[in-house]
Amino acid sequence: MTVSSPATIAEESFATRMKAIGSSAGPPLAAAAIMVTLWEGSCHLFDIPTYIVPAPSRIYAAIVSNPGSLLYNGGVTFFEAVTGFVIGSLLGAMLGTAFAYSRMLARGLLPYVIAANTIPVVAIAPIIILWFGHGIQSKIAVTAFLSFFPLALNMMKGLQSYDRVVMNVFHVSAANSWQRFFKMRLPSALPYVFVGLKLNVTFSVIGAIIAEFVQADKGLGFVIMTTYRTLNMPRLWAAMLLSALIGILFFALIAWIEKRAIPWHSSMREDL
Amino acid sequence: MAERARKKLELLEGINMGNTESPSPLVDFRQVSVTYQGGNNDAVVEALKDVDLVVEEGTFTSLIGPSGCGKSTLLRVLADLITPTDGSVNIAGQQPRVARLARQIGFVFQEPALLDWRSVLENIALPLELQGVGRGQRDEEARRLISLVGLDGFEAAWPSQLSGGMRQRAAIARALSTSPRVMLMDEPFGALDQITRDRMNLELVRIFEATGVTVLFVTHSIREAVLLSDKVVVMSPRPGRIVREIEVDLPRPRTLSVRDSASFDELVRLGTRELELGYDGQ
Repeated sequence: MTVSSPATIAEESFATRMKAIGSSAGPPLAAAAIMVTLWEGSCHLFDIPTYIVPAPSRIYAAIVSNPGSLLYNGGVTFFEAVTGFVIGSLLGAMLGTAFAYSRMLARGLLPYVIAANTIPVVAIAPIIILWFGHGIQSKIAVTAFLSFFPLALNMMKGLQSYDRVVMNVFHVSAANSWQRFFKMRLPSALPYVFVGLKLNVTFSVIGAIIAEFVQADKGLGFVIMTTYRTLNMPRLWAAMLLSALIGILFFALIAWIEKRAIPWHSSMREDL
Repeated sequence: MAERARKKLELLEGINMGNTESPSPLVDFRQVSVTYQGGNNDAVVEALKDVDLVVEEGTFTSLIGPSGCGKSTLLRVLADLITPTDGSVNIAGQQPRVARLARQIGFVFQEPALLDWRSVLENIALPLELQGVGRGQRDEEARRLISLVGLDGFEAAWPSQLSGGMRQRAAIARALSTSPRVMLMDEPFGALDQITRDRMNLELVRIFEATGVTVLFVTHSIREAVLLSDKVVVMSPRPGRIVREIEVDLPRPRTLSVRDSASFDELVRLGTRELELGYDGQ
């Protein structure tokens, strides 16, 4: 491996980043333009019924006819997803930490945590909604339930993955338990934590929408169910696309934080 | 450092500076044994048996021997990573645990074991940070050590941007950061190629002669041991024990050209013979 001075590394990474944005954004945008054109053309050419596949122009019309309502419901779902994500991830991280520090606790409870993780969310969502009521809090609870397990397992694995020789360095340096946790084990665990968080981004949007399917009077899941009953397909498609957009934005946010939290990790290196 | 300088002065001027008794040794092993369960068929392994070893302050001592002779175990006992089954160990008159908590021990492992998420400067300052030294003071000390080990300009670099030799330099600087009484080195250059290893040996000679820190150095190479040391301790396995101590009276400061001298060859021959005897004696 060659060694370059830190200053040139910073300059290089700025230049390559700008180049990367230019070359990475171009092809997907061009592909999107071609796909939307083909989609719109096919709908008219083959006279495809709107309830099967609405043309992009119809979906666009459904969005602009009442953008406020879509944004409001999208906002509700986004709020449920993010809040459930934060609560579930925090609680999961706490249990994962307890597991990493207590072999007995992990031995006793880990099988049940893994078993609970296999319960389909659609099966448990009605129960959680009964427990937490008809408001937004029950949707947050379903989302938190889904976000709990990935963080618990990844936190445990991450905290156990520290370098044994580094631990010896801390021992010889007379580090106390807090220092070992915050200056060594937690930083070592961060790459695993972000694996869990990225899984939870997808899970939390799914969790919020499924909970809204079971029972809701607002949110994208509610919009999808009501438009499905009235076969208002352009609006249903608009809600679906918005839910995807929420997931993408949420994921981008976590990826942005990851890049700043663990810039040293090999998964973050652009030159590999 | 002061101790070294004083000794040198005594020699030069031929004056005894008031110290009639020989000073008590910095490291003192007495009848130290380490046994553990876990050999073949869960047999008891005697990693060290009845080891006596004395290391004077300001000297460079190498421990050499085949795998399983207990040379790493000896360092680990000193660093309070292993508790001996029997016997007593003292560092400056204290138990290893007390010496460790007083941050009088520096340890350089075979792997650099740097923290990936910290810059070179932050890695070197880590032991001082753990000790509770303020940022200004520990950064100043870390910069001084960065110069000492020849890493100027790499303060802000990440470990992943360094070569193997440079990482080991950073690990040496980190081990020196708390100004320990003794620096323990467990095959620190074992993973390096021969040319880098030669250069690191020279660097280590320079650092040792500049700081006067007491060094215990584990190696597989008798040539490396003779080049660096004031004393080479030859060990033998099953049970791990000391078979011979060889005084190395080659002049300091040492350079690689020491290896061309006849006395160097003689010492290497002697050490090699002792190593082979240790094998045969099993």
